[in-house]
Amino acid sequence: MGKVKIGLLQFFSITILFELGTSLVVNLGMAAGRDAWLSILIGSLAGLLMFSGYAYLYRKHPDLTFIGYTRKLLGKTAGTPVALLYIILYMNLSGRGLRDGSTMLAMASMHNTPLFILSMLMILSSSYVLHKGTEVLTRTSLVFTTIVLMIGLFSMILLILSGSINLQHLMPVLENGLWPVMDSVVHQNYMFPFGEMIVFTMLMPYLSDVRKGPWVIAAAMLVSALLLSATIALNISVLGADIAKRSQLPLMPTISKISISDFIQRVDIFVVMVLIIGVFFKMSVFFSAALIGISELFNLPYRRMLYPCTLIILFTSMLDARSFTEHLDEGGRLLYTVYPVFMIVIPVILIIITAVRSYFSAPRPG
Amino acid sequence: MSSGRRNMDSQAEAAGLTGRGGRTSGLTEDLDETILNIRTELGESPDLKVRRLQIGGERSVQAAAIHISGLADPAAVNEFVIGSLLAEPQKLPESAANPARIQAVLLDGILELGDAEVTDGWNDLLLAVLSGDTAVLIEGCMSAVLCDTKGGESRSVEESSSQMVVRGPKDGFVESVATNISLIRRRIKSPKLRLEYTRVGTETQTHVAMLYMKELAGKDLVEEVRSRLNKIAIDEVLESGFIEELIQDKTFTPFPTIFNSERPDVAAGNLLEGRVVIIIDGTPFVLILPAVFTQFFQSAEDYSQRFDIAILMRLVRYVSFIVLLLGPSVYIALTTYHYEMIPTTLLINLLSQRETVPFPAFVEALLMEGAFEILREAGVRMPRVIGQTVSVVGALILGSAVVEAGIITPIMVIVIALTGIASFAIPSYNMAIAGRIIRFGFLLLGGMFGFYGITLGLIVLVAHMNSLRSFGIPYLSPFVPLSVKGQKDTLLRLPLWLMKSGKTPAQLRKEMPDYKRVTTGHEAALAPLIRNNDAAGRKQDREDGRDEEK
Repeated sequence: MGKVKIGLLQFFSITILFELGTSLVVNLGMAAGRDAWLSILIGSLAGLLMFSGYAYLYRKHPDLTFIGYTRKLLGKTAGTPVALLYIILYMNLSGRGLRDGSTMLAMASMHNTPLFILSMLMILSSSYVLHKGTEVLTRTSLVFTTIVLMIGLFSMILLILSGSINLQHLMPVLENGLWPVMDSVVHQNYMFPFGEMIVFTMLMPYLSDVRKGPWVIAAAMLVSALLLSATIALNISVLGADIAKRSQLPLMPTISKISISDFIQRVDIFVVMVLIIGVFFKMSVFFSAALIGISELFNLPYRRMLYPCTLIILFTSMLDARSFTEHLDEGGRLLYTVYPVFMIVIPVILIIITAVRSYFSAPRPG
Repeated sequence: MSSGRRNMDSQAEAAGLTGRGGRTSGLTEDLDETILNIRTELGESPDLKVRRLQIGGERSVQAAAIHISGLADPAAVNEFVIGSLLAEPQKLPESAANPARIQAVLLDGILELGDAEVTDGWNDLLLAVLSGDTAVLIEGCMSAVLCDTKGGESRSVEESSSQMVVRGPKDGFVESVATNISLIRRRIKSPKLRLEYTRVGTETQTHVAMLYMKELAGKDLVEEVRSRLNKIAIDEVLESGFIEELIQDKTFTPFPTIFNSERPDVAAGNLLEGRVVIIIDGTPFVLILPAVFTQFFQSAEDYSQRFDIAILMRLVRYVSFIVLLLGPSVYIALTTYHYEMIPTTLLINLLSQRETVPFPAFVEALLMEGAFEILREAGVRMPRVIGQTVSVVGALILGSAVVEAGIITPIMVIVIALTGIASFAIPSYNMAIAGRIIRFGFLLLGGMFGFYGITLGLIVLVAHMNSLRSFGIPYLSPFVPLSVKGQKDTLLRLPLWLMKSGKTPAQLRKEMPDYKRVTTGHEAALAPLIRNNDAAGRKQDREDGRDEEK
């Protein structure tokens, strides 16, 4: 796509929306009980560590996408199948995101609309935006990050005003020691949502500033970790750990506690809006990464594979599981079986190769 | 005309008269023949007036003054052309044998006109006569003297009818390009104001004037406008809309990307902000470019009122645009899908109203919106005398009769009326119609998918607006890409002493880093990319980029 560059602020906002995505609404890290907020913070630190690895790769190859330097480092014969696997991974993640979103939406408000129709509307909007280009996606994210943050602020103020927050629900901290928290981190939080930052290795070549770019993204990760942690803490303090744990979308009952003089009440539609926006951007980022990968790997114009990919992602999302429970179960297993290979093992191999190469190719005295 | 010229040229060549040159195919040394040629070329038109004269006393020379009645100012033709030709024969040279000399003397000492020139181009001659000039032909001379006698009837400067203000200048542009330029020049008495003329339209040969402030308007912007104007190949230009459509960045969008105005003060203000103004002969609407989204919500009056009041007025306009877009669709989504959000007492009230109405809310809204659009369309083009009837009938039908007949609920009438009023609160008409069209899309989405559809629609809408550019400027700037400096006069209107260092979008554009100007690699191919070549601009780019990151 030539020398299209994306500004830092846009990258910041797309990272925030990507991280918040679905995770803002679901009961993230609730295996840790009332210390879930802590497990997210620890998970984010692990995520930042992983991201520093991706950032290292980016610094060494500022003009190449992940697929580009995979093929460069592993050679064409070994690199191409790996690159292909990554494209499949991104499309799969996009499809899973779509399924997450549309099912949650069906649970939250659209009880009677068929899942397929909901998914189709979402993926069509996404393909329209990506038709306009990745830069348009990131720019659009700037507007919607503002909207999401404003909704968050607004809901927070309303919750405080309606007096539903009870911080006692968060006490005592670390009742059963650190182990349940670490367990939740190991099983979920280091990977979801922070490990998914691997997808940004496909977008980072568009960064307008090589030096500051990774820092901006890392800052956005930290901010979104804080926001996520605060949201989970809010859920627990309003609902109590028990209810928050049982609810699939704990933010909905939390927000529905808002009631001000019988006029402003049941504003859960805002949560639904946040959910839609989050899912949309999360899915679109994966989608665009897959498109960029395809156009690079097969040397095709960026737009040519847009509509075929739309179809593939739509059907992946519909066919990957028979029910939402199966879908979640599958996701949970993928999270510590398949994803670590892509998000940790292969990048670590690449980092080692890069480091070794740069060590040996460094000019030596004499 | 051009085909006529071609015929003439080919005839001349066929006759082997290459020595005379193809360029003056109709102009000959023989006066009678030239007059005949002109008459033939213009199809023996009865309004072509040829006045034959004998100039220069005893050794007089045959001459003729040619003009078209109605286009030329009769007083000027009589007094300054024919009058001065006949007035002082002694000034003319002794010998009639040297017609070129006569012509020179005519120009130097006889014609009492500010603007007169010699031409030997056949097309120039015809174009000048058709524009209202008077051509003076002299026997034995291969060229003609063109005297500027443009005149005739035109509308006088009146208050603009489309963009009114309570406080502010009351003059508006008229159909004459010269008058319009004078209206702007009267406001900007700066030598930096630059004016360029081109003619567009092979048949209409319409005068198109391009104005800009040297140094304030970016060089690359001016160059781009010039090249796009020159690229136009069209037969007729009857309104600025023709030009607008041909030079805008992208056609498939409901949003206007070029601003138009009927007010000289708006044009002058935009010139001073570094924009380019294009005036087209024959229409009071001038084009102002580049235009960003927020510009369509600004009114000339914002600057004549106190700043706090102006901010409030602007906010009202933005809110009304949102109401226009989303009013009916949010109402439908609420009542159809998300009724739990409506306060209980209101919900009971609503349900009791809906009990008697046979249609779903979506159909209700569609009916009312349709009726409202018909009413508005009928009202716009009605002769004023009948206009009253439309409004009375419309008010009766849409107001009470539909409710009493049990077709529409009263709340729906309120929602539609609010939407309709909101569309009138937007200062520029073309932005309001864009909103009206998009509203129907949202109506459909809200009716089918509730808030889900509306949210996705909003995302797509914002993405679409992000993909738009007006002469290189992102349409949503200074919001996306964010520029803190640019905020001073967009959503807000800060007091003038704070705005002093503020940069307008057009100026910001000059300083915008390359990566912000192009939306995607493909967009660059769709619309010509404007490059910033000067090194000073680059340096500013970096500073600007640094500023934004903060």
